[in-house]
Amino acid sequence: MSLDRRKFLKYLGMAGAAAGTSLLVSEGMKTKEKGVGPTVAEAQTAPQKHSADVKPGELDSYYGFWSGGHSGEVRILGLPSMRDLKRISVFNMDVGTGYGITNESKAMLKGKFCGDTHHVHGSYNNGVYDGKYLFVNDKLNNRVARIRCDYMEVDKILDVPNIQGMHGLFTQRAPKTEWLVCNSEFQIPVPNSNPSQPPAQYNGAHTIIDAEKMEVVCQVLMDENMDLAATDYGGRYSMTTSYNIEKGVTVSEMLGSDYDYMLVFHWDRIKKALKDGKHTMIGGVKVLDGRAGKSDLTIRIKVPKNPHGINVSPDGKYAVCSGKVAPTCTVVAIDKLEDVFNGKIKPEDCIVAQPFIGLGPLHTTFDGRGNAITSVFIDSTNVKWNVQKAIDNEKLPEEKKKNTHIVDVLDVNYQVGHIMATMAETKEADGKWLVSLNKFSKDRFLNVGPLKNECEQLIDITGDKLKLVHDSATYIEPHDCIIVRRDIIEKVVKDRFNMFEHPQAVTKSGVDRKGKKVTVKLTANAPVFGLQEVQLKKGDEVTVIVTNHDEISDLGHGFALSNYNINFVVAPFQTKSVTFTADKPGVYWAYCTNFCHALHLEMRMRFIVT
Amino acid sequence: MKNFVVLFVIFVFSTVAFAGKPKFLEHRYEYKLEDVLKADKYEKKDRYWEAYTGGKLVGYVLLSKDWTPQHVGYAAKHMETLVGFDTKGAITGVKIIFHAEPIVLIGLKEENYDNFIKQYMGKSILQSMSVGNEIKMDAITGATVTAVVQNAIIAESAKKVAGMAGLIKYAEQKGHKLSKKFDALGWKELMDSGGVKNILVTQEEIGQPGGKDPYIDLYYGLVAPPSIGKNVLGERTYTEVMESLKPGESAVFIFSNGPGSFKGSGFARGGVFERFNIEQDDRSYVFTDKDYKILTEVAAKGAPPLKEGGIFIIRAKDFDQSKSFKLKLIIGYRAGNEKKFKPAVSDYKLPDKFMEQ
Repeated sequence: MSLDRRKFLKYLGMAGAAAGTSLLVSEGMKTKEKGVGPTVAEAQTAPQKHSADVKPGELDSYYGFWSGGHSGEVRILGLPSMRDLKRISVFNMDVGTGYGITNESKAMLKGKFCGDTHHVHGSYNNGVYDGKYLFVNDKLNNRVARIRCDYMEVDKILDVPNIQGMHGLFTQRAPKTEWLVCNSEFQIPVPNSNPSQPPAQYNGAHTIIDAEKMEVVCQVLMDENMDLAATDYGGRYSMTTSYNIEKGVTVSEMLGSDYDYMLVFHWDRIKKALKDGKHTMIGGVKVLDGRAGKSDLTIRIKVPKNPHGINVSPDGKYAVCSGKVAPTCTVVAIDKLEDVFNGKIKPEDCIVAQPFIGLGPLHTTFDGRGNAITSVFIDSTNVKWNVQKAIDNEKLPEEKKKNTHIVDVLDVNYQVGHIMATMAETKEADGKWLVSLNKFSKDRFLNVGPLKNECEQLIDITGDKLKLVHDSATYIEPHDCIIVRRDIIEKVVKDRFNMFEHPQAVTKSGVDRKGKKVTVKLTANAPVFGLQEVQLKKGDEVTVIVTNHDEISDLGHGFALSNYNINFVVAPFQTKSVTFTADKPGVYWAYCTNFCHALHLEMRMRFIVT
Repeated sequence: MKNFVVLFVIFVFSTVAFAGKPKFLEHRYEYKLEDVLKADKYEKKDRYWEAYTGGKLVGYVLLSKDWTPQHVGYAAKHMETLVGFDTKGAITGVKIIFHAEPIVLIGLKEENYDNFIKQYMGKSILQSMSVGNEIKMDAITGATVTAVVQNAIIAESAKKVAGMAGLIKYAEQKGHKLSKKFDALGWKELMDSGGVKNILVTQEEIGQPGGKDPYIDLYYGLVAPPSIGKNVLGERTYTEVMESLKPGESAVFIFSNGPGSFKGSGFARGGVFERFNIEQDDRSYVFTDKDYKILTEVAAKGAPPLKEGGIFIIRAKDFDQSKSFKLKLIIGYRAGNEKKFKPAVSDYKLPDKFMEQ
């Protein structure tokens, strides 16, 4: 493909000129240009306060759940303030909370402290988040973690076999989340036991996971690689883009074909195939054959080569594949997919539009008012376009040439990856705010050395124009986020009321010794630990169990043991444990690291190793 | 009847473990019933003692943990209190027999606590007793949680015993049912109806230069009647709050604007809201952070601005929403460098229109 960038910019100029006659650019824009007040759209859709200025004591309107990229974590931000509310340790080690240090977290992590989180998605009920779980993938070690939203803590981690480059994760949207899917971007030998297998025999796999049990339901073996994933609003399909149908192992090989695919997986047929026993067991999981010509589980829709994101419009009608290498988006009508599966129409027949977007379209989000907003990496813009207009223009070549589907283009700073609008991955997309997750920050913040933070930008999308309102600096390196209305989450989040959720909760402090194995049970109750000293012998294998007995909300305690490289935090009524070998004789102070009391500094005790 | 009770505190220290807490944190004192009311004979009744001198009933003695164990102080522990009062309801003595209040941390001594307690001598338990009004905080200024909770313990325990002993007669008013009917009411109608009440303290009232500008402009009311709660909180918050209530629990909303704060910031560590409480008959209801849900928006049309707000749950089942109650505030402010408190009281009686007719 080739495209004259100047010509494109000229198009946009024309689009701007044409806007006056367009239905999409209303009177409001004119009044705004005169600076006399908010746009009509704003006035209509936001009768209440719509401001990014969240004053002291005020709460945000949205929870934002961010992946943390190769930091391995998930973050919670408040929107529109973009305040960083919490980091949830997922696949990483966090010396602050002790995640990766405590026995409880080690049992989930199994020694793997590197992670690369890409996509956070919530559990759904009838197309809207139910506030029960968040799921996130680890592209690096091929795991899926589940976060329970009441405590905002990881409760399960599932290792997924037979795949590498676990990219793309999405949850079932209807009727409720029983399944979630994830993809493999890197094709490998399946099973991965024969390293000399030629790349032509490598495979990808689309993995289906039981959300409640956190077990692999099955994998659908594919020739293609798969990166981004989506599900429809009917509980019938999962979808993904593939950019390496060539099975290339070098960049140029991966770019070899003129086209690639959007792939669709038919869930009822998958269920039936499992019931009929059409699977084989590989790596301990059921594997169905989804390769072309091998089964009727999948269809392949040709899209311009090397596409990227796939997103479904909130009305459930369209899947939009962003072009990446192509300057277009491909709009697929979801209600036509069944006819493709049944052979009534050709896969290409379900493509209803292929509008021009810009150079490097990556991901698309929606405002719930019929508009899509696509991130454009090379141009470094967010492009707002009207989906129906793009579809209509397919039959109007002159209109299509003038790009009248484009409503507005906003420069972002710089080089955007994912974007996400408020509630956009639900059928209650509300078109209030958009976040542009930019990969470069360059000159947007004080220079902090060669490794700079990312720049995430908050954009007001209530008007016709995209309006940049805030820059937010971010540490390595969120890929994606979802933005969830506050009322859905805030009624779910709670403090711990039951101390005995942990079977080893300590009610009485003391020391149990069985030979060299010593268990130190500690209550923590501000400002004292339940013991003042513990006598150990060099070589003892020591397990310290700490239960926080303070009932007061927010009153956490830390347990740190000097020179033994141990620290963790226990929230009220929480229990955590750590095991270490007392290999250094001497006196070692353990102390509370999490500020708890005016006598917090005095909250300490001795471990005496003789 | 054994009239001499001695309690020993034994801290068991060993090289490995110790039971209890270091001495500065927990204070337990020996006591005798005569410490709070002199008599020659004490007769144990159900959870209190009758005191007799020369065969004549002279008063009553009670241990607070038998009556108000739910009131816990800054240390999340009940301050066990021995209270005596005579047959006319005048307090004859108060003695703290156990507390874990960290008053030492704010530069106070045990004798400050004792001085606070001393002011109860002679006060009538039949009258209102609230901190900032009849009860002064001067002796333990700063320990507001301790003062408010300690007062609730003494006043409520004593009133309960007085009720039991027949000193206080309550008009038997059977609780009315709240109306389930919903009328869409704007802010003015809510205020006019009495379903929402206001407490206004101006700058000038606390000697500040702001004149008639509010120092605190506070609004409150019962959540449960749909015509109040749903209009004030909005349908969603109303439903969430009502669904979260267990049988017998009640909820009030409070919000305010102006530079003053009814929540304060002290509740964060102690968990107790020390600047306000609700009183009904002889009972006092103090709130902790476990009874609290933040309120950030008021839905009613024409409502004043909200700077801070909360929904507070009265856990006790003995609160009757159809009967009158008081909201008592202690409004903290600074006069120069001096910390001062101004009390304010507001009466609330759910108007008939919000009850079943």
